[in-house]
Amino acid sequence: MPKIEVKNLEKSFGDLQVLKDINLEVEEGEVVCVIGPSGSGKSTMLRCLNGLETPTSGSIVIDGHHISDPNVDIDMARRNIGMVFQQFNLFPFMTVKRNVTFAPVTLKMMSQEEADKKAEHLLDRVGMLDKADAYPKQLSGGQQQRVAIARALEMNPDIMLFDEPTSALDPEMVGEVLNVMEHLASEGMTMVVVTHEMGFAKHVADRVIFIDEGVVVEEGTPEQVFDHPQNERTQNFLNMVLQ
Amino acid sequence: MSFFELLAQTWPRLLHGLGITLESTLISLALAAILGLVFGMLSVSRATGARAVARVYVDIIRGTPIIVQAFFIYFGITSALNFRMDPMTAGIITLTLNAGAYLAEIFRGGIQAVDKGQMEAARSLGLPYGMAMRKVILPQAVRTMVPAIVNQFIITLKDSSILSVIGLTELTQVGSLIIADNLESFKVWLIVGIMYFIIIMILSTISKKIEKRLKVNA
Repeated sequence: MPKIEVKNLEKSFGDLQVLKDINLEVEEGEVVCVIGPSGSGKSTMLRCLNGLETPTSGSIVIDGHHISDPNVDIDMARRNIGMVFQQFNLFPFMTVKRNVTFAPVTLKMMSQEEADKKAEHLLDRVGMLDKADAYPKQLSGGQQQRVAIARALEMNPDIMLFDEPTSALDPEMVGEVLNVMEHLASEGMTMVVVTHEMGFAKHVADRVIFIDEGVVVEEGTPEQVFDHPQNERTQNFLNMVLQ
Repeated sequence: MSFFELLAQTWPRLLHGLGITLESTLISLALAAILGLVFGMLSVSRATGARAVARVYVDIIRGTPIIVQAFFIYFGITSALNFRMDPMTAGIITLTLNAGAYLAEIFRGGIQAVDKGQMEAARSLGLPYGMAMRKVILPQAVRTMVPAIVNQFIITLKDSSILSVIGLTELTQVGSLIIADNLESFKVWLIVGIMYFIIIMILSTISKKIEKRLKVNA
């Protein structure tokens, strides 16, 4: 059974239809990169996956949870789906460590001691352990994003969603975040990554999906999509971003 | 009569009036804080009905003078329903409803000023809406709201003087009663004014200290 199964997903904001008949399956351990022009609907699609946006129609099943069903316990489903945002969205009034331990402790999934121990391990993994007692505003964008990844991982998710995780970063900080993500991918995490980093998509993705104007235009291995794009829109887009 | 003779002679009555002023204000503010929080929550709710209820309440209070609200509650409602209410109860109801509406607006503004990404991050970690609101949004909102809340407290303290019109013997009413006895209008209103002023200065000072403390780790 696929980890993520999206069928006939449609999403409209008022009269504006941003997603049209999206179908997607992601297998366990697979890394899927979603690329496409700004405003193509790729972030909206990602946000539908954990219920931050409500689909207009279609079905989304993640790990057996029917996300698109209005009666689903969305909070339970979300515990299993980590999300990393473009703007990091760390909690500014909490230290780095508290940011990481806050959700599992508040939800009584872990004791403070357990959560602290796990947080130290995760912060070490993303290279942020020495900043455990700092506040987010004392960190660079790249550092904040690495903390945000640790915060999502603290919940032990099976799936990680990344919504343009490096788009708000200064160029010299993009690498440190992508490294953490690449490492995570190599450990077998199921990941859906909306990104403008074509290098990352090329090297790390198992599959690349090109979305334009709310439609999946092209889908395949990085080689297929980047080296032999079949659709003219894909070709045009890649010519623009890769030159 | 010299200023200080007058002060010594009327001091017990003035103090009693000040006590009533503070009592009615503090009780009202405590209740208004709860009312304001509830209606503030309704006004940021996704449910249209909840938002409409909050808007109607705020609009009614903002759209009518507090003196009319006091008359309506003390004379209007009691005569329509044919029962008696003491001025203290009517005064507290008036101040509570009045301050509650303004506090609801302050809460709404404070909550809406918190970046939307904060709620999304909290929800994406599996926190239910109410818990995310309490533990992530409100702590950030309150920091920005402190000056406005204190300002409302000061306004409500001053508005309590209006309750003299329904016969509550708070500080302003006591002032009127003393003048009715001795006709020392200038000195008595000067004293009453200074008493309000001192209390409000104390409040402002405390609020500045709170603001400073919150700024340290904002």
